[in-house]
Amino acid sequence: MRIKKHILTDLRTSLRKLSLIKRRKHHPLIHKIHQKHNLSKKTLLYVKEYGPHSNIPKTIIKESLRVLLLTSIVSSAGGFTLESIKALFLSIIPIVILLPVLNGMVGSYGSIISSHFSTIIYKQGLEKVSLKNKELRNLFSKILVISIAISILAALIALVLSISQGFEFSSAIALKIILISLINVIALITLLFFVVIFAGSYFYKKGEDPDNFLIPITTSIADFGNMILLAILVLIFF
Amino acid sequence: MKFFDETFREIFLSQIVLLIGGLIAGTILAVYTDNLLLIPGMLVLIPGFLEMRGNISGSLAARISSGIYLGFINPYGKNKRVLRGNIAASFFLVVFISILLGVLAYLFTLIVFKTPYPEIILISLLAAILANLIEIPLSIFFTFFLFRKGFDPDNIMGPFVTTTGDLTSILSLLLVVAIL
Repeated sequence: MRIKKHILTDLRTSLRKLSLIKRRKHHPLIHKIHQKHNLSKKTLLYVKEYGPHSNIPKTIIKESLRVLLLTSIVSSAGGFTLESIKALFLSIIPIVILLPVLNGMVGSYGSIISSHFSTIIYKQGLEKVSLKNKELRNLFSKILVISIAISILAALIALVLSISQGFEFSSAIALKIILISLINVIALITLLFFVVIFAGSYFYKKGEDPDNFLIPITTSIADFGNMILLAILVLIFF
Repeated sequence: MKFFDETFREIFLSQIVLLIGGLIAGTILAVYTDNLLLIPGMLVLIPGFLEMRGNISGSLAARISSGIYLGFINPYGKNKRVLRGNIAASFFLVVFISILLGVLAYLFTLIVFKTPYPEIILISLLAAILANLIEIPLSIFFTFFLFRKGFDPDNIMGPFVTTTGDLTSILSLLLVVAIL
């Protein structure tokens, strides 16, 4: 009982110390408490960030603002291209319907590829992560198959919905819409894979956690790339 | 290594959810093109606006979920300090980023098309606040609800927040434009 009390007091003291330290990357105290008390690093990070002595809104705002500013500016920059071809863009109703679908779809593939890549690199080490890695190839094939199926389905539903809005249907236009949806998604997923492998390996080599960088990077590329590519494809096909 | 395994099913299902939400949001955009998309700068504003909604609510749900698992947030409503802090931060971020998005849309239309339309800043701010009033309680409620029902909110809240976020954002923009 005495030993338990002693351990508890020791743990409380350590956690109190941790909650009082100023925000700093990879503070050594986290590693010490993790080793000594066998508490997960995630728990300790939460104590440091949102413990009783921290100003929670300030911490969240400080950490999120830079990434949010970057993604907002990048998304707006992508929107500029669509605004530039507004008249043409708005006349193709299926593409207007597809815009939020494609945006959400490509962005979510970026997050999926990034989080899977981080797990693979932590499990297998940097030396086994390359374009020939079996797990990465399997993931790429899965995402490619799903994205082809979903983008064709999305284009077909968008076409049906646009007919009910008075859009003049023809098989040539239907084919163009399906092609735009397919080319857009396949090109961006391939680009995202290369970016994740090269940027992820770079950050891992530098001793950083790829999770903290890859998702904002891929989301921004997905948003910006999606709108630029969509604008280019609309100009080519229509 | 199986091809059609659990990962395949999870990714496919999340994409179906995203597809449904995106198509509803896209249809609303197409139906109300005259009211919404013809406004100068609206096509510059919308992508960032949808992105902001998903990012802020997605991070909020993820932080709450981590807090519940680590015992910092009580899923039955006690000890609300961390929760209040999260809500306050999300509101501040939404207000700040929506003003920035409005300013960017305004400057672009002014510089490129020589069309001054400062109302876009007000539209962005009011629509973001309105969407926040719906989306933040919805995200918190569903994170708690899913946890209480034995589901892992981390697996479900991502596509859920993106889908509901797109819908509430587009509807809020429409409502604000109609009022102004």
